[in-house]
Amino acid sequence: MRKLATLRLRPLVLVFVLALVFAACGDGRDDEEESSGDDDTTEQPTDDTTAGEEPTGEADLIDAADCPGDPTTGTADGTIKFGTSLPQSGLYASFAEILRGSQAYFSYVNEELGGVTVNGEQYQIELIAKDDAYAADQTVSNVTGLINDDQVFGLFNVVGTKNNLAVRDFVNENCVPSLFAATGAPAWGNHEYPWILGTFLVPYPLEMQALVDYLTVNDPDASIAILRANDDFGAAYAETLESLIEGTDLTIAATETYDPETGEVASQITTLAATDADVFLLGATLTACPTALNELAGSGWDPLVYMSGTCTSKTLMALAGENGDGVVSVGPLLDPADPANASNEAMALYAEKVAQYQPEAAADNGIVAYGWSAAAMLVYTLENSPELTRESVMETARTLTEVSEIGLMPPGATWTLGAEDWFLGEQFNLVQYSAADGFFSALGDLQVYDDQTEEITPDSLINS
Amino acid sequence: MDQFLQHLMNGIEAGVIYASLALALVLIFKTTGILNFAQGEMALVSTYFTWKLAEWGLPVWVAILVSVGVSFVGGALIERVVIRPVEQSSPLVIVIVTIGLFLALNSLAQVIFGTDAHLMPRAYPNESWDLLGVNVEADTLVLIAVLAVECVVLWYLLQRTKVGLALRGVASNPESSRLVGVPVGSMLMFGWGLAAALGALAGSLVVPTTAGLTAGSMQSILVFAFAAAALGGFDSPLGAVVGGLIVGVAQSLTTAYVDWLNDIEIIVPFGLILVVLLIKPAGLFGKVRVERV
Amino acid sequence: MSGVKRVAGWVLAFVGVAVALLLAIRILTQSLDLFDGLFNDPNKASTIDLFTEALYIGIAAMGLNILTGYNGQVSLGHGAFFGVGAYTSAILMFDHGWAYLPTLPVAGVICLFVGVLVGIPALRVKGLYLALVTLGLSVVFPDLTKRFVNGTGGTNLLSLKTEQISPPDWYDWFADPIADPLTDYVGSRDQWAFWLSFVIAVITLLCVWGIARSRFGRALIAVRDHEAAAVTVGIDLARVKVSAFAISAFFAGLAGSLSVLVSRLANAGKVETFQLSILLLVAVVVGGTATVWGPIIGAFVVVFAQDWIGEQETLTDLLDAERAKLLSPALFGIALIIMMYVLPDGIVGGARRGLRALRRPRAAPSDA
Repeated sequence: MRKLATLRLRPLVLVFVLALVFAACGDGRDDEEESSGDDDTTEQPTDDTTAGEEPTGEADLIDAADCPGDPTTGTADGTIKFGTSLPQSGLYASFAEILRGSQAYFSYVNEELGGVTVNGEQYQIELIAKDDAYAADQTVSNVTGLINDDQVFGLFNVVGTKNNLAVRDFVNENCVPSLFAATGAPAWGNHEYPWILGTFLVPYPLEMQALVDYLTVNDPDASIAILRANDDFGAAYAETLESLIEGTDLTIAATETYDPETGEVASQITTLAATDADVFLLGATLTACPTALNELAGSGWDPLVYMSGTCTSKTLMALAGENGDGVVSVGPLLDPADPANASNEAMALYAEKVAQYQPEAAADNGIVAYGWSAAAMLVYTLENSPELTRESVMETARTLTEVSEIGLMPPGATWTLGAEDWFLGEQFNLVQYSAADGFFSALGDLQVYDDQTEEITPDSLINS
Repeated sequence: MDQFLQHLMNGIEAGVIYASLALALVLIFKTTGILNFAQGEMALVSTYFTWKLAEWGLPVWVAILVSVGVSFVGGALIERVVIRPVEQSSPLVIVIVTIGLFLALNSLAQVIFGTDAHLMPRAYPNESWDLLGVNVEADTLVLIAVLAVECVVLWYLLQRTKVGLALRGVASNPESSRLVGVPVGSMLMFGWGLAAALGALAGSLVVPTTAGLTAGSMQSILVFAFAAAALGGFDSPLGAVVGGLIVGVAQSLTTAYVDWLNDIEIIVPFGLILVVLLIKPAGLFGKVRVERV
Repeated sequence: MSGVKRVAGWVLAFVGVAVALLLAIRILTQSLDLFDGLFNDPNKASTIDLFTEALYIGIAAMGLNILTGYNGQVSLGHGAFFGVGAYTSAILMFDHGWAYLPTLPVAGVICLFVGVLVGIPALRVKGLYLALVTLGLSVVFPDLTKRFVNGTGGTNLLSLKTEQISPPDWYDWFADPIADPLTDYVGSRDQWAFWLSFVIAVITLLCVWGIARSRFGRALIAVRDHEAAAVTVGIDLARVKVSAFAISAFFAGLAGSLSVLVSRLANAGKVETFQLSILLLVAVVVGGTATVWGPIIGAFVVVFAQDWIGEQETLTDLLDAERAKLLSPALFGIALIIMMYVLPDGIVGGARRGLRALRRPRAAPSDA
């Protein structure tokens, strides 16, 4: 042990270390900057379980030939086991309300309808929920545990873009269906990852198409000022908008970014207000939305505000109060806070069953309605699967056709997926907030953008 | 020029927010010698309490006063029950205990008051005035006034009263204080209570200026309050206020004018701390303790 | 020249110990089926990951102990060093196609370098102020990754495929073939991560043990206890303090690199990085500051306690299942406070006190 006992950092060691570091750093930096977006995918080792590489589009979407594990895992004893990982504690614990909505629907199906019928047999649905406090590494350990130890059939409604990206490879390698990942990120359109399917939140890029179309009609030469989160979420809005306004008379007056982890937006609003643009695009989420609206009110700038569809919950809008009046956004589902929807049959069922099975949940909260509808989509998918295998369920999910009136879908809307269309939620309403009423109501007719998300989204947002 | 002044004003707005929590941090350090990681979460619980009282129908000012009073008692109790048993241990152990307290208070607040964001009521109308083209909000003026009063009261209390002398004595040398007959335990409880009361006032006034009351309301403020206190000097209330303003203004102006620091603006406050501490190791207004060899 | 020799000696010692350990493990596992119960329980595949996590958290904590325990410099920034290590390995694999193993020393060395860079200004900043400056590292680092890392899905997260974190070919010779239905899923990836972390942890432990008994170790303690006195006996203050920073950062970097094998990603957020920094400090204090075994024991206690608490359904009579989950951080916090009451000098310190107390009664009569 004498050698170990004489540790010293001689200058020579430092020189050696420095040399190593510079060698490693220099090389790292260069390539890192070059390899933006599309390069990455070409460097990835090819994985023959993915459908994206098959040039023949007509073949089965899901190729399970090389899949490990039993494709009927988690379906024994008349029960289908699903797993989910979402924040149930910590700063983002309010997302757990989604789970209440889903659990209410599953309880209703299990207890009142005798379960879900797949290929002539009835199954109860069991959902194992694990808490990740919104931390991606915890999502990984939850999901490995769910797949390896709990032996779930599939994943359902894992919350968060980063959290889903973190388990995307693992889920894909193990051919475990991950259905309705609860984020509207364009990344779920990446054809290398057929086993993970996004949800019916309006894909963020499509929100921009709707905005551009709305402006072309109502204010064709509008200038737009953008406040966006400094991450992939903000990029999905800003970069898509930049590419969409090409060839129109719309212009971008200025773009400012903010840090979603601190939510400070005051300086950015001051800078944007100075442009006096006609339209203010709020590519923000959570409490940054009402904060920005409140700051806007004090700035003396009075633009048309378009706000991310992720901010339309009753609780968030309540924080902006009067300052939220007239804000335009999108809504993939009926707003449970809108009394006009109360007479709707689906809404009545929702209100009744949530009150019955999840009495602590606030049924007029949009996030609960979201969980309910996602659960309904899952049940619908299972019931339409020819057999209860992972491959079959995933294939069914990927080819959902003209889905309508599931959960709290707006009347008349239909959603369709297919070999080339990987995005749900391509029909939705533009909605406008009324501060006096305290809810959003539809603005104009149903927006129909079938099959368009992939087309309008810059490739780097999908395949990176 | 107008825009510059407005950015400056935004910075001051943020700065007074940081300063008001930094003041509580400084007070607890000055009177007990502890760095309290749970300060923000104590303020959070107090703020939830204010909100609840207001929701039950108390006028907001009354709710705040009641909450400040209750927080004083609560802070003193926390010292007596949670901190006292480890008082004699190393500072690191006390730090860990305040971290435990941080975790406990944050999650208890969510269990008791819910995870949704709440609209925090204001004690005064949310007005703003146009002053030379700059939008000045009532919030900022109220916070500045409150900070000024707090500073004067604290200065008087600590420097001009017997209690203040005893408080400072306990923090710098508890053993000698005990020997000359200072009730050390009561003084420590008093210090914690006072800091908790300041935190309650800060939280109840600051949260209405942000979007809403959530479990995360105080956390990013706490980080900047730490920065403010370190910048100004941990044993100087005035330093905390000046530090808070510097941090707020530096942040606002960087966001507005320094494009190459886009998205990494947070380097500025911490870079400033480092620079200041390299020149003055005890902060701008702090006193370096002379070490006897 | 002696410097080069010394480094070469160190590298040799490092590699030698590693190889010896690997051989020992091979003999133990293959001949005795020692860990069968632990590793081959089909319903507990992720338990091994938990052990690995405790090991690498322990490695970082042992490193932090050199700085905070022996040298008295409190750092709230080691989550950032850990992150630098994780990102180094992930970037080298993700963008440059490196195999995992060579990235491990690079991660450590880069952190060593960053540690020196941080340690130099830290010379003038002490105690509480140092804690806050290093807190800045935890807050700034995630933003730097957001700005400069273009990772998976346009985020600052780098997600790795199983292939990239799989063991090298020679591991097949070393590993016990597993006859288990779960092979399909986990293969030997998780065991590889465990054994590698185990070997590094043992080496780290030996290093800390050696340092604690060396002149350098005594210098660390002297500087902690009385700077001025240390200077008068000829200790180079700057060198000792910066070295402590660098060494602790080195081990945090190794730990971060190892974490990639379990979490399959490199990621940084302000809350996560800060929490990790705190967790490392907690592991050190819970285990016992300035003790050789304390931090690794503390890491096991903290990691397993957190996991266990997360699984509990508490107060379900009073709260519904959702609200009960909210309580887990509170339970951990309260457990931490109670731990500090019972064992203010950590588990190792407490155990020592306990042993002394057991011995004393026997010794007492002879004294009297």
